[in-house]
Amino acid sequence: MPSLRLDGRRLEIQDGDTIAAAAFRAGVRTFSRSLKSHRRRGLYCGTGDCANCLVTVDAMPGERACMTPARDGMRVDRETGWPSAERDALAINDKLHRFMPVGFYYKVFARPRWLWPLAERVIRRATGTGTLPLDAAARRTPTRFVRVRTLVIGGGVAGLAAAATAGGDGSVLVADEATLGARVTDPAARETVARLAAEARAAGAEILEAHAAIGIYEGPSAALLGPDELVEVEAEHVIVATGAIEAHGVFPGNDLPGVWLGRGAARMGATHGVSVGERAVVVANTGEGQQLAEALRTAGADVTLLAGRVLEARGTRQVNSVSVLTPDGRRALACDALVLSLGWAPRDTLLRMTAEPEVVGAGDVVRPGCTLAEAEASGRAASLGEADEPREADPWPIAEPDGYVCVCEDVSMHDLEHAWDEGWTSSEILKRYTTATMGPCQGALCSRHLAEHARAKGATPAARGRTTARPPVRGPRLGDLTGGVHEQVERRTALHDRHVAAGARMDHSGVWLRPGTYGDVNDEIHAVRQRVSVMDVSTLGKFLVAGRDARTLLDRVFPLDVGAIAPGRARYLLALDEAGYVMDDGLLAALHEGSYFLTSTSGGADKMEAWLRNWIDRLDLHVHLVNRTAQLGAINVTGPRARELLATLSDDDLSRGALPYPGHAEITVAGVPCRAIAVGFVGEVSFELHHPRGRSVELWNALLEAGAPWGIRPHGLDALDVLRLEKGHVYLAQDTMPDDHPAKLGLGWAVATHKEEFVGKRALERMDALPLERRLVGLRFDGPPQRGHPLALDDAIVGRITSCAVSDAAGGPVGLGWLRAVDGAFPTVLRAGDVTATVSPTPFYDPEGARLRA
Amino acid sequence: MPEVRERPLGVIVCAADPPALDRLVAPGHGARMLRVAPDELMAVAKRDVIDDVRREIHDRITVLDDDALVVDDSDGWTAIALTGPDADRALSYLSALQPPAADDLVQGDVARVAAKIVREPDGLLVLVPAYWGEHLRTRAIEDAGGMAR
Repeated sequence: MPSLRLDGRRLEIQDGDTIAAAAFRAGVRTFSRSLKSHRRRGLYCGTGDCANCLVTVDAMPGERACMTPARDGMRVDRETGWPSAERDALAINDKLHRFMPVGFYYKVFARPRWLWPLAERVIRRATGTGTLPLDAAARRTPTRFVRVRTLVIGGGVAGLAAAATAGGDGSVLVADEATLGARVTDPAARETVARLAAEARAAGAEILEAHAAIGIYEGPSAALLGPDELVEVEAEHVIVATGAIEAHGVFPGNDLPGVWLGRGAARMGATHGVSVGERAVVVANTGEGQQLAEALRTAGADVTLLAGRVLEARGTRQVNSVSVLTPDGRRALACDALVLSLGWAPRDTLLRMTAEPEVVGAGDVVRPGCTLAEAEASGRAASLGEADEPREADPWPIAEPDGYVCVCEDVSMHDLEHAWDEGWTSSEILKRYTTATMGPCQGALCSRHLAEHARAKGATPAARGRTTARPPVRGPRLGDLTGGVHEQVERRTALHDRHVAAGARMDHSGVWLRPGTYGDVNDEIHAVRQRVSVMDVSTLGKFLVAGRDARTLLDRVFPLDVGAIAPGRARYLLALDEAGYVMDDGLLAALHEGSYFLTSTSGGADKMEAWLRNWIDRLDLHVHLVNRTAQLGAINVTGPRARELLATLSDDDLSRGALPYPGHAEITVAGVPCRAIAVGFVGEVSFELHHPRGRSVELWNALLEAGAPWGIRPHGLDALDVLRLEKGHVYLAQDTMPDDHPAKLGLGWAVATHKEEFVGKRALERMDALPLERRLVGLRFDGPPQRGHPLALDDAIVGRITSCAVSDAAGGPVGLGWLRAVDGAFPTVLRAGDVTATVSPTPFYDPEGARLRA
Repeated sequence: MPEVRERPLGVIVCAADPPALDRLVAPGHGARMLRVAPDELMAVAKRDVIDDVRREIHDRITVLDDDALVVDDSDGWTAIALTGPDADRALSYLSALQPPAADDLVQGDVARVAAKIVREPDGLLVLVPAYWGEHLRTRAIEDAGGMAR
């Protein structure tokens, strides 16, 4: 016999059992403890609408026992109560309820201020539901996107009738949170569901079972949560046919185990063959009393059927008697189950999430308590554009002066009265003060009571409405909601696997995944400064700019003198915005046929492309631009031996005359066609080899193999950070701020001010007339500095360190930092924590640039 | 169940004046012409004919626009084929985009990266810049593979 374990106890499972059915059959009556008072809570709605039966299933908390099918080997734990749900020491809270009125947190622990953090810790331990499994692997729920003409939410009579009618008229999707008919106990209703399901399928409707709609959004669109997927549906029309449950009864003892809502109790008997008690009292003011009574009798209960008001239910571990005010007077009856059908509460939360006319209701949700025939007619009408207007449930049960309004949050009628007397006099602020409707059921049971309470107290119409309905309707896991959005999408170069194989620590660098270091940063730096090294710079933005107006474009948008760049030569380039602020930088190489090869920073490529295309359009120029970033890999070969290394792998002329700094040429290296650009970012002889991405591995391997005699090492971002700092080169974003113009960065030399026009020129001219209030400076330190540390002059902070490193090549600790002018002059000696910082000219290393021209 | 497989393809990018591209006669060799922008066209073909495709496009477009750029971009793209009768459904696990009709091109977000989708006789072909190739491959297998659950 298959079985599950509840708190370690073995329980047998029968065919079709939910966890709740298996547990109830085995005698379990207490399924949870209430949030604050730790009162016993048993099965109540039996339809997934309340939070009484939330349990932890196989370490995942918050599963509804009444809706979750039982499986062999399942491990189920009740979530609340200490040491157990059956014997809960914290049930003492129930006796202390009077000392913990609603809102007491806000008052009792307000002073002294240090008390609240302590109190909060204790309160959090004593309350709440299940525990998140922090050590469990995160579940990744795939998201599926669907477009349909009609989405029907709810696979009952009205929903299926709507789908059957709409099915011939386009794509139709029906979503039901359970299997079709699972919540139906009446044989006639089951037959109708089966007939309409067949009709809907025949008409071409797709039916998704076990998919709960958790929200309706603009569009309209809806999110459906299935066992293994989140389905995002865009629909032209949405028909909400989620039905209704019996109204929650508010009376003393209403939360005792053994008090049931009618359809859930009937389902327990009719579907699972489990009687909810031996002696059941059914109090029914709806038309379903007889039907409920019959279902309970069939399951073996001795049933008393009454109409009237429940005045009180009594019991300790579960209900044992009830007082009912009937038309014939007050009656007290002994019982072990009290089954309520006091009125109807439409499941209208989804319907209330939107006012879009494309979203309508059908069946019980708009006509609570309607007959099967009426539900079918309502569904068919909705799909034909003649949906019923929602009408209020009738009758609605009178709340007695005591009893729990919100069973999720332990909010009683006394609490509502208390809050009202304190001045919280509308349903919305009652909600916020008392937390009623804010529990796991999201107000499914209590939101009408809250509104009704405000109405009965004489609140204005605006202050007595239902509280706002928001997603999610059911409690999804966060992992389900993220649907993969939490994932960081990264770009990889063609050499990614080579870096990993070489033991590189791969870092997220903007949108790319790049090697931080291969293990020994100092050795990587030494390789560059003393021998030869390679770096994967495939991440650089790369563009081909051609067309008869190519030069005009580049001259018009960039501040460098494009006309001065002869074919075969390259120049450092700044990109400024209209405000004259530095957006990006890169290199511009003039090609022989009048076109240009442009590089940008790795993180700036997408913006550079959009920016250039925008200017091509704005200036109406005949220019063609192709983004080559994905097509071309790039490897920087650098170090005093770089030229020698390339010479071993190439037959091309690589002499200083043929390939000077800053110049470029098409060469072949190890059989791979490359555009070699002589660059100077790290201050040594360097050649960026731009080549087809598909040949990156071949080229990389050849360089490492040929460089072995010189002790070649690849270097990563950590080494690059030091190398470029030694040369005083800035990292955009790290060393810069959004409002930096070139002069602030010491890059005024990169601006051809004599040019008539370039983007940002007017702004630079205006700023030139102003004194420089802030600038980036080189710094030397007398001890190890810290990046980000403030720079202080006396007690005033006048700047901060943006980059720093202890550098052998620079002769000690060096850095870059922002400095603000003080009384019109820039200070030269500052404090950076415990060290002294002295403003120093850059570059720190090889200031004449002799090495990179070697 | 759809099959998810990387398909080696040659890609030629042609940037030219829109009227020139409008008048461009498509090359042979089974190349598929994708107009990805008014002034840009991608030709997709088998790798072994891509040089011929590039040459034909170059010869024909430069008559219409002598500045036109025609470059081999084959290494810049990863093409993942979703094949089989469930290909469209597999795509729905990766994208909110409607699958294209027979000769259409759909561009947009697939697995949260910029992609181009075309219909093939045996299913769908999704192209993304090569630096996202691994990402798309992983997502296609994990998410579209979720259909098997």
